[in-house]
Amino acid sequence: MNTLLYFLLKARPWILFAAYTIIGCVLLFNSNPYQQSIYLTSANSFSTQVYNAANGVTSYFNLRNINEDLQRRNRDLELEVLSLKQQLVDFRDMEYAISHPVDSVLQRYDFVLAHVINNSVHRPRNYITIQKGSLDGIRPDMGVVDQNGIVGKINVVGPHSARIISLLNDNFRVSCKIKKTNSVGSLVWKHSDYTEAIIEEIPRHATYAKGDTIITSGYSTSFPEGIPVGVVVGEMKDHDDNYLTLRVKLFTDFSKLSTVRVIVDNMADELKALENESSKTENPDTNL
Amino acid sequence: MLAISLVLLLVQVVVLNRICLFGMAVPFAFIYIILRLPLTMSKEWLFTIAFTIGLTVDVFSDTGGINTIGCLSIAALRRPILHLYFPREDELTDPFPSIHSLGMLTYFKYTLSITAIFCIIVFLLEDLSFFRIWHLVECILTSTILTTALLIGIDSLTLPRHEKRL
Repeated sequence: MNTLLYFLLKARPWILFAAYTIIGCVLLFNSNPYQQSIYLTSANSFSTQVYNAANGVTSYFNLRNINEDLQRRNRDLELEVLSLKQQLVDFRDMEYAISHPVDSVLQRYDFVLAHVINNSVHRPRNYITIQKGSLDGIRPDMGVVDQNGIVGKINVVGPHSARIISLLNDNFRVSCKIKKTNSVGSLVWKHSDYTEAIIEEIPRHATYAKGDTIITSGYSTSFPEGIPVGVVVGEMKDHDDNYLTLRVKLFTDFSKLSTVRVIVDNMADELKALENESSKTENPDTNL
Repeated sequence: MLAISLVLLLVQVVVLNRICLFGMAVPFAFIYIILRLPLTMSKEWLFTIAFTIGLTVDVFSDTGGINTIGCLSIAALRRPILHLYFPREDELTDPFPSIHSLGMLTYFKYTLSITAIFCIIVFLLEDLSFFRIWHLVECILTSTILTTALLIGIDSLTLPRHEKRL
């Protein structure tokens, strides 16, 4: 007994060391990013304050590039407005617009503007922190875009801050399609550099050309259809012969994220309730 | 020492964590705190401080427990490594390992070994799948060189004030 006590007393630092290491391992291998406590992520209130202060300085550095992006986007939108106006005139001529009045109350999507206060691009699993949270109407699983294209999906939400699971993350997957042919695939990032991702599971018979635009398919409640993602730069060799895997150059410059928009889908609750209901009626056993 | 530690942690999470030279080299300045802790400090305190520092960096950069495990490992291996290059430990007048107390060559070897161990652990844990083994080796080598240079720089900066105190 005495020897045991003596041993425990002598090994005390190493028992402490083992305990700390076990805590570290638990944190590391708790692989599901949705189950993490908010205190252990960069969305906690202390780190948000620190990052907010730092961002107050660094957000000025990229203004020139952001300005250029906005100008370009503005030009595209103006062109689109012009063509839409033309279309509206055409339709009005056909008395189409009169029979289908446009009502802004029925608009499905809303945007919440937020500033990025922390961001990384060189890790295998990258996250982004923003300074808007549940009090601004942000909920987990909402999609996030910036002026150029898709950015990620809301993951952990605090009252004044939220963590986005970046597109540059193993755990991120979103349904996309080739704009020209409507062939649908799944966009993932494979630890390559932050300007490129790949799009998997495109049916082999689909046709594509280099430079084709990739947009979101709208098959999830996170992203509406038609958000720009990137352009095809080539094909990748894959083990599965039934599917194509394409390399995609992303429109979004993740190294210079500054202001992002969180997409609020006003129909998300309705769609989810509907999906739950239909899955219940399909499996009546679960009701018993 | 506390002031230096807080400044280093702040600089690490706000500035250095965003740097990734040539897409591979990451500077880890905060491990200087563990390198600099006095040799006379009890192991319990050493491990507790290493754990706290590692966890802080992990929480700020969303890296799970990678830096925590890295910090604990170098805290445990610090003494055996220093003993390897400087066997006459009792001749040390100053319990803080630095260029001043160990000499440039010994301090360089001490820093290089500990940084290399830290970088190997951090990058291995971060990329458990190993499917880009050459990229991993490049990351470890360049980060080790960058961090060692940075740590020696930091130590020579803190040197004059230290001499004044003597």
